[in-house]
Amino acid sequence: MKEYAIETKDLKIYYGKKEVIKGINLRIPKNTIFTIMGPSGCGKSTLLRSFNRLLELNMDAKIEGEVLIFGKNIYGEDVDPISIRRKVGMVFQYPNPFPHLTLYDNIAIGLKLNNLVKSKEEMDKRVRWALEKASLWDEVKDRLYEYPASLSGGQKQRLVIARALALKPKILLMDEPTANVDPVGTKNIEKLLFELKKDYTIVLVTHEPAQAARTSDFVGFLYLGKLIEVGPTKYIFEKPKNELTEKYLTGSLV
Amino acid sequence: MKIKRLDMFQIITLPAVIFVFLLFILMLSVYFYNALPAFFREGLDVYFKNTWQASEIPSKEYYGLAAAIWGTVYSSIIGVLIALPISVAYSIFVIDYAPKKLKNIFIIISDMMAGLPTIIYGIWGAFILVPFLQKYIMIPLYKNLSFIPIFSYPPTTGYSYFSAGVLLGIMITPFASAIIREAYQMVPFTYREAAISLGLTRYEATKILLGYIKPAIVSGMILAFGRAVGETVAVSLVIGNSFNMSVSLFAPGYTISSLIANQFGNAYIYRHMLPVLYAGGLALFIIGLIVNVIGIYLLMRWQKNVRI
Amino acid sequence: MSGYKTRRGKDISFIIGITILTFLGILPLFHIIATVFINGVPIIAKKGISFLTNTLSNGGIGPAIAGTFILIFLSSLIGLPVALLVGIYAYEYPESKIGRATKTLLQIMLEFPTILVGVFVMSMIAIPMGTYSAIAGAFALAIILMPYVAVYTQEAMREIPFTYREASFGLGLSRVKVIFQILVPLSKRGILTGVLIGLAKVAGETAPLLFTVGGLYESYPASITEPVGAIPLLIYTLVQSPSKADHMMAWGASLILLLIFLLIFIPIRLKLREVRL
Repeated sequence: MKEYAIETKDLKIYYGKKEVIKGINLRIPKNTIFTIMGPSGCGKSTLLRSFNRLLELNMDAKIEGEVLIFGKNIYGEDVDPISIRRKVGMVFQYPNPFPHLTLYDNIAIGLKLNNLVKSKEEMDKRVRWALEKASLWDEVKDRLYEYPASLSGGQKQRLVIARALALKPKILLMDEPTANVDPVGTKNIEKLLFELKKDYTIVLVTHEPAQAARTSDFVGFLYLGKLIEVGPTKYIFEKPKNELTEKYLTGSLV
Repeated sequence: MKIKRLDMFQIITLPAVIFVFLLFILMLSVYFYNALPAFFREGLDVYFKNTWQASEIPSKEYYGLAAAIWGTVYSSIIGVLIALPISVAYSIFVIDYAPKKLKNIFIIISDMMAGLPTIIYGIWGAFILVPFLQKYIMIPLYKNLSFIPIFSYPPTTGYSYFSAGVLLGIMITPFASAIIREAYQMVPFTYREAAISLGLTRYEATKILLGYIKPAIVSGMILAFGRAVGETVAVSLVIGNSFNMSVSLFAPGYTISSLIANQFGNAYIYRHMLPVLYAGGLALFIIGLIVNVIGIYLLMRWQKNVRI
Repeated sequence: MSGYKTRRGKDISFIIGITILTFLGILPLFHIIATVFINGVPIIAKKGISFLTNTLSNGGIGPAIAGTFILIFLSSLIGLPVALLVGIYAYEYPESKIGRATKTLLQIMLEFPTILVGVFVMSMIAIPMGTYSAIAGAFALAIILMPYVAVYTQEAMREIPFTYREASFGLGLSRVKVIFQILVPLSKRGILTGVLIGLAKVAGETAPLLFTVGGLYESYPASITEPVGAIPLLIYTLVQSPSKADHMMAWGASLILLLIFLLIFIPIRLKLREVRL
């Protein structure tokens, strides 16, 4: 049996009594970009946040079913959500570098507070490595001790990607990472995704079908909490099997 | 899936929370426990009788807090009656009429008044306000209208319920203003537009909007009353500290807190006075608790309704 | 429906009315500040620097100033840690039963008659110790300080956008680290405002000191287990004295207290945050 980066088994999520994710079975292969697309309010962000147990910050949220990360159910009895989140990094819709920390410290904080790095030299190396991975090093190497307020939206978002990468996760979750970024920044980030694919599995959430088409290997179409159709990007965009998918892609789904 | 267990965060913070709760309960118990002898000796008379017989001979001692309770409530009500129109007017003025720059200055002034040490109100009240009120308000009113009971007491010193009430009014106005101003600011803009578009004048529109924040005004007044009830030093410097029980505004009186402030120091000389003062403290405690709980509850309920 | 003219007239008198009332409401502040300066400056000018350093019988309030600063310091030492922890707890559990009860309790304590705190601390600390002391006064002030700082801490942290919370947890950090090492530093300005408000409050309190600190104006405090004085308490005593000279001293002390208050208050306002004392 093949081991997937992420696999869900009959995953259901409730907010209070309202079922927002209605039994999803999904398999995301390693080292691919998998895009979950769908209209706003379909449950994309909720689904994404169940992959690193970040959903638990919301007191009302309740989860049924299983989410397997590299074959291990993260909702199992003795699983520590903290260790999961280190393995599964996340980038958010709103570029959210910590405003009170310098660029350097924004990258370093996760490592520092997790006690993952011992010496200053090692930290310097890791910070540089993460920024290089996020294609941001050249732009910020001379101002590592400035605050993120001076960065553009796209730069901020790459800083956040670097912050996540610094922990050397296996999987990167991205919740509409370009929604608040200008077109140039978006292009840079999309380019970055291709680079990152070599080492990471990326799960991308977007409400823009065009972005899904440009970036991903696989696409899942989520509608009203149900996974309508999943498949290789090309296949979904050229020959959608489901009527709803077709409607969504042609913009006639209200 | 979600296991309820004490995590490190709770281990760190919960003790502080529990400590504060225990402290509060302990405080209530201390007052109750120390007041018990007074209840055993005098029963509820301790609250309803107006006598204050301190004596070297314990059997002759007898104390009642009625005058102090009356003075507390009376002066606080005067304070609230003064604070009500001013704080409402202030809120309307600051939100609706003051230019943007002035608005901030007004808010700063009000905040500063709310935070000013009460003893400074006290010294100003005792040396400036009381003589002023005596000369320009009390004496003229007494001379011309002394047939009305509330003006019937000769204002010989000026230290009186009235002076205490006015000073309290000045002190609690900024506090009430802050609550009402915030509430008035929360009125959604569309109501304002709607009222104006009906062709109403600003006065008429404001009247409608005030109706909308009425619960907030009420709770602001209740909380301000709670503040006035607990105020000690400023009041004790202007109320005259006399065991009087009168509706006459210009008569001197006592409040629970100023009674405690004045009598606690020498209460140890007497056998039975201390428990009575604790009983007064207990009354103040409970009045404060009830008033504040009601005020906070009403305010929270209103805020919740508005947000939706 | 009344005619346009009467409506218009009502409108104008309404505007005039609220303007007058508003100015009537803030007038006392100006009058108070002016009076304190007018009466306080001459005595301080006359005594010079010795007003700030001498003992009371030598025409100074030095020990009272020292006492006030000792009390501010000690009460912060006792009250701030508890206040921060309680405020952080109330932020973290806004909807739980204990969290809500905590918030209500803080609001109640915020409005609580301060003299009751003084008497309580007297019975719990001063009487068992057999003496008034700085430490007893500091405890009383700490109880008063606590709810201010806790409420402001909770409110400052509540303003942190949820996304930073997510980002912090997303880094695989424990709740303790997220809260204490990321979110608390993130809202440090707001928390600091709360601390300053608490200090401004504590610096001016009189009633809780009446039966706790004892008063010490003829020598400088030597130990925290012995009586100390405080400026507000000294003013209260001097105002009640029949002597005109004492009243002069009271005005001078009031001016110093006012300046201390402004010293703490102005930095708060410069940041232009909503402040409620």
